[in-house]
Amino acid sequence: MVDLLAVWTAVFFTLALYSILYKDTAWYRIAESVYLGVAVGYGVSLDLLYVRNQWATGGWATPGVMLGGFIIALVLGVLWYFRFVKQYFYLYRWPLSIIVGTGIGLALRAVIFVQFTDMIKAQAKLNLWIANDMMTTFNNILIFIMVPCVLLYFWFTGAKIRETAPMKVVDKIARYTMMAGFGSAFGYTILTRFSMFIGRAQFLLGITPNPPENMTAFIVLGLLILASMVGYDLFYKKKS
Amino acid sequence: MDTSEEEELSSKMAFLEKFMDMDRRWVYLLSWIFVLAPLLYPLGLPIPINQEAIKWYDTIDKIPNGSVVIFAPMYGTSGMPELFPMTVATMRHLWSKDIKVIVVTFWTEGPLVFRTLLTQVDPTSYGKVYGKDWINLGYVPGSETAMSSFGRDIPGTVSSDFIEGKPTTSFPIMANIKTATDIDLIISIETGTPGATEWLRQWQAPFGVPMIVGCIGVSVPGMAPFLQSGQISALLPGLTSSAEYELLLKKPGLAVAGVDAVSMSHLMVVALVILGNIAYFATRGSKGGKK
Repeated sequence: MVDLLAVWTAVFFTLALYSILYKDTAWYRIAESVYLGVAVGYGVSLDLLYVRNQWATGGWATPGVMLGGFIIALVLGVLWYFRFVKQYFYLYRWPLSIIVGTGIGLALRAVIFVQFTDMIKAQAKLNLWIANDMMTTFNNILIFIMVPCVLLYFWFTGAKIRETAPMKVVDKIARYTMMAGFGSAFGYTILTRFSMFIGRAQFLLGITPNPPENMTAFIVLGLLILASMVGYDLFYKKKS
Repeated sequence: MDTSEEEELSSKMAFLEKFMDMDRRWVYLLSWIFVLAPLLYPLGLPIPINQEAIKWYDTIDKIPNGSVVIFAPMYGTSGMPELFPMTVATMRHLWSKDIKVIVVTFWTEGPLVFRTLLTQVDPTSYGKVYGKDWINLGYVPGSETAMSSFGRDIPGTVSSDFIEGKPTTSFPIMANIKTATDIDLIISIETGTPGATEWLRQWQAPFGVPMIVGCIGVSVPGMAPFLQSGQISALLPGLTSSAEYELLLKKPGLAVAGVDAVSMSHLMVVALVILGNIAYFATRGSKGGKK
């Protein structure tokens, strides 16, 4: 019985979220709010579980530096909530600045290697001729030409050198490169959206390993939600 | 041009103009039809296996016995339709080998994803014992900062496991695992941030831990440079590659079942793009067309 209730609830919320495809409906609003609420609640409970575990088994309860650190972390955590108190809003900036500062510091330490020097090394090491692999050879030649062109395009933004004949060629290659990149990103975005829809459709149709009862719930709830939306529209059309 | 030809031309233009202003809900309806129909009546279209899936399969298959792997489902329920099939297939592959697996996530809903996986794949059927062959450390809050801390001190950052709530150090699998240097491979399956870039910054760059990434299609253009530079050893992008991987494993699952729908929905999008362009160029100079 509980399993069946879970199936019907999941199917209802899936269809309620998809009702946005028709228009912004009450079903969509309900599902959106419930989803966000549940997700936030689940997240907060896991955060609290982590803090409890660190207290119980992580040695944070041991008197000394660890305990002091734990108390400071807790106080900083509470300071986040001063965002909602106008009078003491400035206190909220303390945890914010510490977290943003720590995050940026940690990222910057390695970003120079991961997203800069390693990329330059990879570009420099490009093999422009690979025997018996024409596709990779062609691909590497394209990368060899296109990457510097895009860099030069941005490097000389607004500079007079952009008006010279060689730079006009570079500009053109850079623009085509970026267009190809955006096109690829758009194509993959479509792929992802459809993959997600397909996954949900498999759930609605009860394709294994999803419960087969989903199909009945899908047909019944789908018709009810559709009828309610179309009926609502017709009713108001008639009234006006 | 006589009157009848003019009338025919104007009716064609009127149709194209109408097509340009078509209610987007017709496209959504078409999407439902093109997705549901092949799921209900599979077409059995061929699935050619590409390099990405082969490389992913080979990387996991060649992990030496006794190695320790971090498996990170870095996504929530919203990413499950696309990433869950590859998550299941990868875990099946890992559990079929003599490899120690540490499951950890820096995404709130990651434990939920893994719990769903355990309802479909039973580690004991592969002879795997919890705490000895694999362990679930659950969710670690703190994003990139937590990933950095986890790399420097694994049992200190996660003091107890997620399933039994016992101290991490009490499990035999964790006996010799202290820092990132004790890990042989990271497998991150993800939808965004924190994800591969953060693993690279906090694990791969300072500790040299190799990694492979499974991601949603949207992330592929961002991940490709890391693959080309060799910072990522293998990349498994999206549902189609998952299907290829399932076929390589000889365990067809949800991804294989969905490939027909992927092909049909893409055909629909391509057809609409072509029609949209024809309509745009044909009506560009006309009275009602866009300039």
